[in-house]
Amino acid sequence: MKALMSLGALIGVAGLLLLGGMIFDVVPSNTVRLVEGYMPIQLLLEVACYVIGFTGLSYMMSAMGMALPRFWQGIGFWIFLMVYLKYRVYPPIPFSVRAMYGTVGLVTVFMWVSANEEDWKKFKQPIMNVLDAQTGMNRLLRYAYLVLIPILIGGFSFNAMMPKSEEPIELRTVHPAPPASTKVHGKTYTLQTSQNPYRVNPEGKYDQEFSNANIVEQGMGRLMKPNANPWDEKNQGYLKYVREGGEIFFQNCHFCHGDNLNGRGLHAFAFNPIPANFTDPGTIAQLQETFIFWRVSKGGIGLPNEGFPWASVMPPWEQHLTVDEIWKVVLFEYWHTGYYPRTWD
Amino acid sequence: MMDSMTQKAGIIAAAAFGVVLVSTAGYSPVSAQGMPEGFKKGELAAEPSAEMIEAGKRVYFTKCVWCHGVDGAGDGPGADRLWPRPRNFNQGTFKIRHTASGELPLFDAKKPIPGQNDLFETVTHGLPGSAMPPWEGILSEEQRLQVLSFVTTQLVKDRKFTDKQSESQTVLQLADLKPKPATDESRKRGGELIVEKKCVECHGMEGRGDGNAFNLKDDWGFSIQPANWHKCWNFRGSRQDPYNVSNIFRTFSTGVNGTPMPSFADNTTVDERWDIANFVNSLCERDSLGNPLPIDPLTDKPKINFVIPSDMVEGEIPTDLEHEAWKKAPKRYVAMGGQITHKPRNFVNRLDDIWVRSLYNDKHIVYLLEWDDRTKSVAEGKLPWAPTQVNIDIKEQDPKTGEEGSIAAQQNNYAVYNDAIAIETAVKWKELPAPIKPRYLFGTNEQFPMDIVKWEADGSLRAFKGTGWDKDFEERDNYEEAMKLLKAEWKNGRWYVMIQRPVGNKKDQDYDEDTFFEVGQYIPTVFFAWDGHNGDAGRKMAVSAFYYTFMNPPVPQETYIYPVVIAVGVVLLEGWVLTRRANKKKGKTL
Repeated sequence: MKALMSLGALIGVAGLLLLGGMIFDVVPSNTVRLVEGYMPIQLLLEVACYVIGFTGLSYMMSAMGMALPRFWQGIGFWIFLMVYLKYRVYPPIPFSVRAMYGTVGLVTVFMWVSANEEDWKKFKQPIMNVLDAQTGMNRLLRYAYLVLIPILIGGFSFNAMMPKSEEPIELRTVHPAPPASTKVHGKTYTLQTSQNPYRVNPEGKYDQEFSNANIVEQGMGRLMKPNANPWDEKNQGYLKYVREGGEIFFQNCHFCHGDNLNGRGLHAFAFNPIPANFTDPGTIAQLQETFIFWRVSKGGIGLPNEGFPWASVMPPWEQHLTVDEIWKVVLFEYWHTGYYPRTWD
Repeated sequence: MMDSMTQKAGIIAAAAFGVVLVSTAGYSPVSAQGMPEGFKKGELAAEPSAEMIEAGKRVYFTKCVWCHGVDGAGDGPGADRLWPRPRNFNQGTFKIRHTASGELPLFDAKKPIPGQNDLFETVTHGLPGSAMPPWEGILSEEQRLQVLSFVTTQLVKDRKFTDKQSESQTVLQLADLKPKPATDESRKRGGELIVEKKCVECHGMEGRGDGNAFNLKDDWGFSIQPANWHKCWNFRGSRQDPYNVSNIFRTFSTGVNGTPMPSFADNTTVDERWDIANFVNSLCERDSLGNPLPIDPLTDKPKINFVIPSDMVEGEIPTDLEHEAWKKAPKRYVAMGGQITHKPRNFVNRLDDIWVRSLYNDKHIVYLLEWDDRTKSVAEGKLPWAPTQVNIDIKEQDPKTGEEGSIAAQQNNYAVYNDAIAIETAVKWKELPAPIKPRYLFGTNEQFPMDIVKWEADGSLRAFKGTGWDKDFEERDNYEEAMKLLKAEWKNGRWYVMIQRPVGNKKDQDYDEDTFFEVGQYIPTVFFAWDGHNGDAGRKMAVSAFYYTFMNPPVPQETYIYPVVIAVGVVLLEGWVLTRRANKKKGKTL
């Protein structure tokens, strides 16, 4: 038990040192690099490590007779949480969201320290001691607080009142409701009933099962199935059109949406927000194929009112591509990400 | 080409000589033995297993084929619209290596160790400044090794990674060479050496890549351009760690195969190379305190702040860059992408960022725009369409690489138009109904247009009105008179342009067509830039996202008063709590 806990303590100390070092630039801030694609799970793992670390630390300290009072444990944990959210989590979270997490964290800490009457008493004891100031040390502390608290609060309010130029936060609707039908190149498509004319089997019949069987495999890398290579000359139907769609994608779309369809193309860094990430299960995986057809054809300018603000420079691709080309690109996007388009039923 | 061939032959011969010596007398770093200083003889890696190669083929045909092509000749469907072009693997020419000039890069399918596996690192970290993305997090380590096994054995056709007869490995021992501290002295010596070693002939006097930008070709005859040392995040070999001096040292020591960038291993000592690397590294853009810019891990470019603050000055706004007010004004990095939404589209975008500062007084606001452009371009050619036009009828798709009119053939052969820059701001931005923003680039509609101020290298400063996504710009009649060009200078690969315009008021300006700048408000601002030598004209340009101009208000008096009042209040509160507590203990109640 002790060995296990000391290991935990070691993790805790190392973790805190590393975090502190990276914040204060003692060690390079990319010492533990966040890797795109793993970022959320990486952060969760890190937090888990810290929890283990703190458990070990607190156990070891009490074993060594230097137990940290509950009061300081609570405060320390809350401060750690705020520091971690502010300096470690990437992309940065806006202050308003951090304030929400901070409040929830504070409530949790209070619930923890007031779990029973005895704990609660222990928790507030240090505060009472200072208030009553029966020892010299506490008296000193009391006077220090008397002076420090007004200064701190005054300072904070001064800071808050200083004019600042932080980026305004804008919220937007990610998937606005589509119209019932859309007119592209002079032809009207009803979104509920239209089908991708290239989702066909080698005999040329619309065949969702056939196409679903030939998309890339989910899992690391999202690789094609070994016997479903779109670059095979002998392909007929679905895979042949996937390849044609890919050719169009890599001449028009990858500049923003990226070689891996993750919204990290050559020009993506210049835009805000950065272009849509199709590998995210929250984008095309949730939508019908006709929805994508509509969005590609009409672009950012074609968004309905609820889609404001139009923070999108997606062009209406009907100005550059034919209807057939648009359908093929949509086909390719589903193939390459390994998602099935949602159906209406 | 001739040069690199003879050099290669020389190194191979030298390396062979080195083998003989090493086998008899042991290793010694003296260059007289044929080994440049800091290098050591390496072993060719074993051939990857057939399973690895087969598995790699699957990765290749899912991810890579789209740009690198079926035969790995760098001619996939994406290639025609990319610059720099995707690598042609067939010749086995790879840019970023630890091996001597002309040699194959390090690759071992069983050893994914940084510093010992060049190709693995290239795939892992990508090649910044080109379309090659980092594949870490997308492909597993195993998959990256597999695809490289396939590429090195099947697609590299002219050379063989395992052929001991024709190939050798002379490896830069970067891990053993400790970087020299970047002292002023070291940087100064580096600054002298880059002149002595003729680096400035291509990279330019200030290192902005503007030296010999128009006569350089790679091994395949395609035009290429020297690196701009001020944008280290675009260094191909920066390995997602742009301010690391070792990367520059490596590139300088081994050269960039397939390009005119030679290896300097033979004519510089290790010590000199560190001096040069320190100097080049010191040129990369830094913040006002001299610290490296924070890099956004999602884009591997400097982090962006979308607010462009404008400080107030009393009286005239200074036009001298060295003036205190400009030195103090915060400098913002504005990222630029190619305009690829309207014809004519700009797939090959040469201007990828500009630096913006701003100052204002009671009457005017001034933008200081600085950006790197390798060439000063003043129109020679006549544009076949009006520069205000959008969605003009031009054919874009057909020309393939090698044909006339293709992007590859056009590089450095465009009719030269004006370099230019424009600032676009929203008109009546305050009145836009709640959720609506002037969100498309060129104006919402007639009612909510955009106010566009454009400077061109012929010295003109003109004003336009944008009334919609695919509407032509309308030239405005008389707004020019209200504006003033305070500065427009091109020096050593960088433009410095200072544009002054009125902050706007209802008396002198037109509320329906001019942007009114208000202190303490966020005014939507977009930047456009044109590189005349890239054939940029009309809508073929670079665009930024929406930024905000924010005129910093003077600090109001309340800011000083209220905190004091609050602090006094807290003191009173403390007194009350303490008295209560004391009374309670004594058993008294209030």
